[in-house]
Amino acid sequence: MRRDYKLFKDRNSEIIAVGPEGPGQFKSYWQSNDLPFIGLPDPDYSVLKQYGQEVNLFKLGRLPAQVIIDRDGIARYAHYGKSMSDIPSNVELLELLDLINESKLDAVAI
Amino acid sequence: MSQVKLNTTAPEFELDDLQGNPVKLSDYYGKKNVVLVFNRGFI
Repeated sequence: MRRDYKLFKDRNSEIIAVGPEGPGQFKSYWQSNDLPFIGLPDPDYSVLKQYGQEVNLFKLGRLPAQVIIDRDGIARYAHYGKSMSDIPSNVELLELLDLINESKLDAVAI
Repeated sequence: MSQVKLNTTAPEFELDDLQGNPVKLSDYYGKKNVVLVFNRGFI
């Protein structure tokens, strides 16, 4: 995601990564990987639970999940991985963002 | 599993970023789309 971060910014989108790791762990991971996007530690699982990333699965590791929220705060797309590697590609996310951005134009003929 | 409902307002949240500044989902209303990524864990 770091490589394609600019492509997300070009689509007027921000990437926010949330995880239950503590701020210290997040910070050192962010620095050593030089990540440009936003990382939010959620050690209380508050946001993870709200968005349905199942906490029970923690024994097996958390399954990845992505949610796209548009500029009106509406959740437009959600993907909950069935396995640890079940993650949509950046290309897929960028295309979805294009669709979301385009439907914001008032003068779209149907 | 209470997955987020599509086409409804996403749940508001507030967490501190890595500099200790509070970040709210509603900070982005009217400005940017947000791609929320819940990762596998990197410990």
